[in-house]
Formats: sequence, C-alpha cells, structure tokens
Amino acid sequence: MIAFVSGGARCGKSRFAEALLCRWHVQRGGRRWYLATARAADTEMAARIARHRRERGPGWHTLEAPLALDVALARVGDGDSVLLDCLTLWASQWRYGGGGSDDEGEALLAECLAAARVRGIALVVVSNDLNEDLPPGDAETRRYIAFLQRLHRRLAHEADRVVEVVAGLPIEWKPIVENDAETTG
Amino acid sequence: MQSVIGGACSGRRQLAAQRFPCAGWHRLVKGEGAEECLAGHAGREVLVVDGIAAWLSAALAEIPDDDALRETWLRLLDGFVAAPCEAVLILDEMGRGIVPMDSAARRLRDHNGWLVQAAVERSRVAWYLRHGLFKQLK
Repeated sequence: MIAFVSGGARCGKSRFAEALLCRWHVQRGGRRWYLATARAADTEMAARIARHRRERGPGWHTLEAPLALDVALARVGDGDSVLLDCLTLWASQWRYGGGGSDDEGEALLAECLAAARVRGIALVVVSNDLNEDLPPGDAETRRYIAFLQRLHRRLAHEADRVVEVVAGLPIEWKPIVENDAETTG
Repeated sequence: MQSVIGGACSGRRQLAAQRFPCAGWHRLVKGEGAEECLAGHAGREVLVVDGIAAWLSAALAEIPDDDALRETWLRLLDGFVAAPCEAVLILDEMGRGIVPMDSAARRLRDHNGWLVQAAVERSRVAWYLRHGLFKQLK
C-alpha cells in the first residue's frame, strides 16, 4: 500500500500523512517507522527536527535517510509501516548533496516503491507542490523543478492513493477504500 | 476548443498526446496570430497549441497598455474558437506562489491568469493536470 501526500507550505500535509500512516499501522500491526530525509545542518534545522519528533509522539522508530532511501528501507521489516517526510528535501540533497544524476534518482525511488510493494510495507510519502508558481528565472531552479516533477509523476502513477492537502483538508486525486489496507498489503 | 491546464512538468503534453494521437502540434511564436498558426495545419481535425505562456511573455514586452494586451490575447483565443479544427490549448497554472516583487512578473502572472480563465470560458472541455493525474473541470 503506497500513498502520496502533497501540498503547499504549512498546509497540514505532514499531519495528514502521519494520521493516515497511523491508521494503516493500527490495521496492519508491525512497527511504525519515520524515514527522515532532513539533515541537521544547523541549529535551526536541528531544532525543527526535534520539534517534529516531539509532535509525532512515542511509538515511532526513526531512520535518517538524506540520500540512501534504499539502505534505510532495507532496515524496515516486511509488513511494517513507513512515513517518508519529505521527498522535496531528498530531491534537493540528491541533486546538490552528492546523490547522482536525475535518472539515477528516479530509478532509486522506483526501486524503493517496488521493494515496498513486494515486501508488503505500507508507505506514505510526503512532498511539496512547487510547480504552480511563475516559471523560475534561472535554469538551475527550472532543472530542479523538472526533477522533482519527474519524482512526483512517478509516485502519483505508482501510488494507490494520491492526496492534495489544502488547509488541512484532503482533496482526493486517486482515492482508495480504507479497508483495502488490510487485504492488499 | 479544449484547454489543458497545469503547472510546470505536470504532464499536460503527455495527456494531450494520449487523448489526441493524430493531432498536429504547433508552438506559438512571438507575435503570431491564430490565423497564421492555423494556416500551417489545414486539414487537421485537432491541433494542439503549445507555447502560449512564452507568447504572452513576449507580448507583454511589446504591448505596455493592459487593455491593448488583453485585446491581443482575446483575439488569439477567439481565433482558436472559430478554427475549422478542434484547438487544444496547453495552458500554464502559475498563480500559486507569492506575489512577485518585480512588476513585470506580476503583470505576466495577472494576464496569464485572466487568459486561462477566458480560455476555459470559451472551451467545451477543460482538463487540470497535477503530477500526471487529471481531473476534467468542464
């Protein structure tokens, strides 16, 4: 079971995704994982990560995966539930923090989605919608948006459920029946 | 006429290609009118028209008066409405960021938004694309 949850800044997408993942976890059992893509590069970022961790509350196992999503996912048990937050940050680290080419980045994401599917992992991926603003003035930002959109299109295509969050409320782009979570793995 | 709206790299062209596999494709160039565009594709049943945001951006620089600019893009849209073929316009959603500091960027954002509204008003069918998924708005 794979869900893709996205929206603008401070729209409530992480809170919605956490609630969705928790519902799936209750239905399915196993362990509940938080796959963090953020790097604590400075004190503000460290404080932000600590706040997110407090807000999530107990019962989460945290894995840090600024680049190697596949390695992190390999540590998760079959049938567990995983919240990946957020893909936007991972995309920028992949491009500018030693990841690799855009093709390799998309291939790595596809590999993780396939592994989650085969191993019965419930995966919720959170990302930011950045492509409905004025076209960026510089070529590098345009290339970044193009890469992020490749990932978003791939995710939307592969996911069982795709949700846009606006002011904390979900708009369904690819709805599924919640009870399916118990049977489709 | 039909409109296909979405943000950058949202999958608009892929949708148009899937739905209209036999369509002709045309990228509007600076200063071009609907009649000139259509003249090169006589006999086509469907013509996908791309490059409208870039066309508008160029028109903005050429036409400082807002009313005259509005007349220019309305003339373009009305030309496609009256076309002997079905025109399918690829349109940009670019109004969901912060208000730009630069006045030229604000003007582009404003006119693009008005153009998209006018195009949808004149369209029989309108699609909105998001990350490769679509909803039919009209």
